[in-house]
Formats: sequence, structure tokens, C-alpha cells
Amino acid sequence: MFKYILVNELRALLYTWKSMVWFLITSVIFSFASYLFLTDKELSLLDQSEMLWLLSKVIIGTALMIITVDASSTITGEFEKETAESLFLTPLSLKDFVLGKLLASLSLWIAIFLIAVPYIIVVSAGSHVTAAFIMFVLMLGTMLILGFQMMIFGISFLFRSSKNTLTTSLVILLALVLPATFSSTLKNNPLSHFLSVTNPIDNVFSSLDNVLVDYQTTLTGNLKYVFPVLIFCFAAFAFMLYSTKLFKRSGVVKND
Amino acid sequence: MHRKSFLTLLVISLTVCFASANSLPADSGSVCSPPLSMSILSKLALDGIAGDYVTVSAEIKNISAKTITNITTYLSLADEETKLPVDLEDWSAEKGLFIGTIDAGQKFPLEWKIHFVKAGKYSLIIIAEIQGETNVLTSRVTHFAVSPKHNLNPGQVLPVALGMPLFLLVIMMFAAYTRRSRLMKSQ
Amino acid sequence: MNIAVKTENLSKLYGQTMAVDRLSLEVKNGEFFGFLGPNGAGKTTTIRLLTGIIRPDEGTAIIQENLPAGSIEAKLIAGVMPESRGLYEWMTAREYLSLFAHLYSVHNAIKATDEKLSIVGLSHEKNKRIGAFSRGMKQRLCLARALINKPKILFLDEPTLGLDPKGQEDIQILLKALNADGVTIFYSSHLLNEVAMLCSRIAVIHHGKLVAQGTISQLQEQTGLTNSGLKDIFLKLTGD
Ligand SMILES: Nc1ncnc2c1ncn2[C@@H]1O[C@H](COP(=O)(O)OP(=O)(O)OP(=O)(O)O)[C@@H](O)[C@H]1O
Ligand SMILES: [Mg+2]
Repeated sequence: MFKYILVNELRALLYTWKSMVWFLITSVIFSFASYLFLTDKELSLLDQSEMLWLLSKVIIGTALMIITVDASSTITGEFEKETAESLFLTPLSLKDFVLGKLLASLSLWIAIFLIAVPYIIVVSAGSHVTAAFIMFVLMLGTMLILGFQMMIFGISFLFRSSKNTLTTSLVILLALVLPATFSSTLKNNPLSHFLSVTNPIDNVFSSLDNVLVDYQTTLTGNLKYVFPVLIFCFAAFAFMLYSTKLFKRSGVVKND
Repeated sequence: MHRKSFLTLLVISLTVCFASANSLPADSGSVCSPPLSMSILSKLALDGIAGDYVTVSAEIKNISAKTITNITTYLSLADEETKLPVDLEDWSAEKGLFIGTIDAGQKFPLEWKIHFVKAGKYSLIIIAEIQGETNVLTSRVTHFAVSPKHNLNPGQVLPVALGMPLFLLVIMMFAAYTRRSRLMKSQ
Repeated sequence: MNIAVKTENLSKLYGQTMAVDRLSLEVKNGEFFGFLGPNGAGKTTTIRLLTGIIRPDEGTAIIQENLPAGSIEAKLIAGVMPESRGLYEWMTAREYLSLFAHLYSVHNAIKATDEKLSIVGLSHEKNKRIGAFSRGMKQRLCLARALINKPKILFLDEPTLGLDPKGQEDIQILLKALNADGVTIFYSSHLLNEVAMLCSRIAVIHHGKLVAQGTISQLQEQTGLTNSGLKDIFLKLTGD
């Protein structure tokens, strides 16, 4: 049953130009970044591996931003536009509804990833990490973004308002991204060290650093970074489960 | 912290050693007269590009008349610009090699695999320690440079950077056009 | 198989207000059941309880003899035109309806889609974007969606609201025909003339409570307004 929700969502992405605008923004950001790598005096002096790491951050960061904005409205939109009631009048289960929405949102990430691949290939040309770069961005990005989507869906079922969901998600995203950008200077402090080893974005960036700069391209060499991201995914899933329980209890039309 | 003080100590002892070694040419009776000699063999092969894997090969020779036991050799690398020792763990090298025993007049080959992680100017020395001795022995300093990797080829990047947005724009127009014409046709 | 809808002490509390207050109703199969009440009486809330959109705080609701309201079996045999008329504006009518045909696992979804579109008179607009539809066209599309799974029972929440006289009449004719085919209709409306003309039995609720139930002549008897129309009866029953 989720397949109809998925197909419908994919159609909406295509027909409403929403996704196309996202893709265009994505490619412009990637183009701008790689153009800077070439022409900017300081950036072009960077070691190639540093440059690759920067590119991987740009890819993951852009995708996170777009997915956050998009996922914040995909479920809440059904409530705000009063289309949810008609959907739940059918035998469609909440599970299929969420699964369809989740896969649609995930396919947006896959599309962003596919747009990134040519950039990865040309920027990493000559290094021997192209394949590892692609694999790790796909693996870590998928896990991180899946976790974010589930978290955002959980928030969506609580608020049922795109504005509140988007604001909350952006605040969380910011709270996780900011420390990740200057974590290396803070790692000596035990509290910030703890925050950094539990921060999923931080771990994804550290793992990419490990792969692209230190050439640790095996999965086992990156387990200590992958594991916290997995934990984040499970936590987000548990939160979403809890939030859908509350949703089921209060019904499709909530008490205003 | 620990490593740093160790190195400072090392440098001090080396200076003392060198100073005395220079003033007193090879004299077997001297305090600092080294029973071992070490030489780095791969000086030329060392300069490289960031990302390269290279092998540092060296040789240790017992130039004394006695068998020496319990020898351990270390590789030490310092960044010449920051004057800081390089953490060899990042450079994926095994820092210490336990040699054991070398008979009088015998040579022993040494090999370290290192990975040039970052561009820069570096100096490398090999240190040998004999258990029970307070003085360590060092090789001469070898300087080498790791140049940054400049593989970004504008000829490759620009077509993608310009082409991708255009490509997506074309797809966008095409999708809009086909949907529109489909809706028009079926009306 | 005689009972189409049966509720016992059905109650729903919204904050401090009892939107539905110990409501006990019974609708027989094949009836055209009018569900009346002033604004805020609890009609929409009752329909939401009967279709499983919300859960009751107390009481039970059963569809078609023994199916709990909101169960998949109950959903499969019910067609609903809810108060919220949200549609996916970017879709065409045909895309929209076929989505629901699939969600109901309707056999031969495309054929059923075209059939329902022609029943509600939207054949010519089926490939138009819903965003470009007039209110009446959207209302018809909602009705088509309610019919897509060939329901045995239809819950309609003010289906002719905002329609022009022609539109109202079209829908009335259609509903009569469906009822003649044996479809039970649970009809909530404000338009008393319409209800008087269509419905075989009527329930009136006020402040969430059932205040009267029966045929028009039974209601006339109950209120002592033997010669009056439904309007007077309604005003008497719901006057505070
Ligand atoms: N989602 C909600 N949250 C809080 N209160 C609600 C909600 N929906 C309805 N109510 C309250 O419940 C009562 C019944 O509302 P309901 O919508 O069922 O009335 P109605 O009979 O359908 O009215 P109308 O004829 O205006 O459509 C009203 O007092 C309303 O304020
Ligand atoms: Mg209502």
C-alpha cells in the first residue's frame, strides 16, 4: 500500500517543480564549491584530500538542509491542506503512510547524491579515494538523512504544523552542525568531547575525514564513527514510533 | 606532552653528543663514541606528494667489537615549519622496531612504511636505544619535502560545474513540457 | 444484515465541550438517514467517530451489523464525504481518483475511475488540474471519491454546501438513485427542505445529544406540531 503514497509523492516532486528547484539549488551549490576549489587562492592551495573533505561536507550539508525543509512539510502538509482525513478514510495504514513518505523523502536524497557523483569524480580525479568517497558519502549520508527524516516525521506528528516543525528541525540541525564545524578546537573539554562523540553530524564528518584525509577506507576502520550514527537512527526511529502512538491516540483530527 | 619532553631531552642529548663527537673525532675511548652507526638509505626517494606511500629504508651497523643486545630503533619525524613532532599514528607507520641482537661488525636493514598525509617540509631521524644505556644513538637528520597534491584539473571540473545546472534545467523544461502537452492532448 | 449503523452512548470530549454526548443511534440498511443539528451540534464529530478518523472517549459505534467503526472492514464498505474537502491541487481529477481507487484496492482501478467521474459529471474535466476546478467541481470530485469503492454505506457531511441549485439537484438525483440501488445514506445537512425531500428517517442532535429521532410524521407527533414543516420542528427541538 505504501507504494501508492510513494508514487504519489514522487509525482508531486516532479509535477510541482518542487524537486526540480531543489536539484537546481543543489547543483548550483556544488558547482560554486568546486569552482571555488579551483579559483580561490587559499582553497586551491589546499591539499586535495582536504578539498575532498570540504566537498563531502558541502554535499552532506546541502542535502541535510534540503531534506529538512522538504520533510518538514511532507506530512504536516497533509494536515494543513486537510487531505489527511481522506487518506485515512481508506484502509491505508499509518505504517504504510509513513513508509511511503519516508521512501519519497529518501529518494530526494538519492537524487541529490546522484547529482553529487560527477562533482566527486572530477574533484577527486587522480586520488585513489574516489570509490571510497562515493561509498562513504552514500552510506553515511543515507543513515544520517534517514535519522533526520524520522526525527522530523516524529516532530510533524506532534505539531501537525509545517511552520513549527520546520523551525524546530532547523534549530536542531543548527545545534548539531555548529559544534561539528569547530569541534576540533573544543575536543579537549570533556563536555564538548562527549557532545562531539554523540553528535551524528560530527561523527559523519569525522568518518569522512578519516576516509578522505587519513585514507582509512575500510568499514571496520570507521566503525567507531558509524556506530553513533546508527544509534542516532534508532533513537529517531523510537521517537517517531512514540509520536505516531500519540497521533493514533488523538486521531487524525486533533483537539484544537 | 610526554612525547614532547622526550624529544626535547633527545635534542639536548643529541646536541651534546654531536658537539663532543665533532670536537673529538672517532675515538673508541670517548663517552659518546657510538657502538652503532645508522644511515638512511632512501633520501632521494623520500621527497613526494601528499597521499604517497613511501618506504624509509635505513641500515644499522654494529661498529663496535662486541655483540650488542636489546636494540630498539625509532623513527622520528618533525615538521620543520611548526617545529613540532609529527604524530606518526596518522602517517600509519609503526614507530618502533625491536631489533634485538646485532653481532659485532654486522649490519641490519631497517624499513618503515610511511604515508605522506600532509604537504610540508619535514626532517627525519632514526634513533636507536640500547636497553640499559642512558644515551641514545641517532642517525643524521634527513630533510625532505612533501608537496601538496594539485590534481584538480580545471579542464575536468568546469564542464561538470557548468554542465550540471544546465542539464537539470533542460530536464526541468522537458518534464514540464511533456506533462503540459499530455494534459492538453487529453482535454 | 439489517443494521447499517449503531452507536451506544457514543461520546467525544473536546477540552471542556462534549462535542458528542452519549449518543445512541440506529440506522437500518437501505435507509436515507437525515442527520440534523445546528452549527456546532456535533454532526461532523459524529461522522468522524463513525468513520474512524477519531476515537470515542466512551461508547461504541458499529457499522454493518458487527464491524467496529474505524476497522479496515468498515472502511472498505463505507464511502465518506468528510467536512474537510482538501484535494491535491496539482493532480488531475483522474490521477486523484485513481490514487484512491488503488488505496481501496479497487479492481480495475482505471475503469472504476472513469466510471465514477462520468457519474458525477466530470468526464470532460478529468484531465484538468484540480487547482483549476470550481468549488462545485471539487465537491463533485469529493463525491466521486466517496463512491470509488462501491460503498454499501455513504456518510455525507453537508455534500451540497455551497453548490448552485443545479448542482444541488444533480447531487440529490444521484443520491436518490444510489439509495434506490440499496446504498444506505447517512446524510448530514442544514438544508431542511432537502432533508425533508430525501430522507426517510431523521435524527436531530443538539449540543451533542440526540433530541429526536424518527420519520417526519413521528417528529411532528413528538413535538405536537402536526401541521408544520421540518423547519418549525427543527427550531422547536433545538431552541434553548
Ligand atoms: N478539532 C476540534 N477541537 C476542539 N473542539 C472541536 C473540534 N472539532 C469540533 N469541536 C467542537 O465540537 C463541537 C461540535 O463540532 P462539530 O464540528 O461536530 O459540529 P457540527 O455539527 O458539524 O457543526 P457545523 O454544522 O458548523 O459543521 C463544537 O462545539 C466544536 O467547537
Ligand atoms: Mg460540521
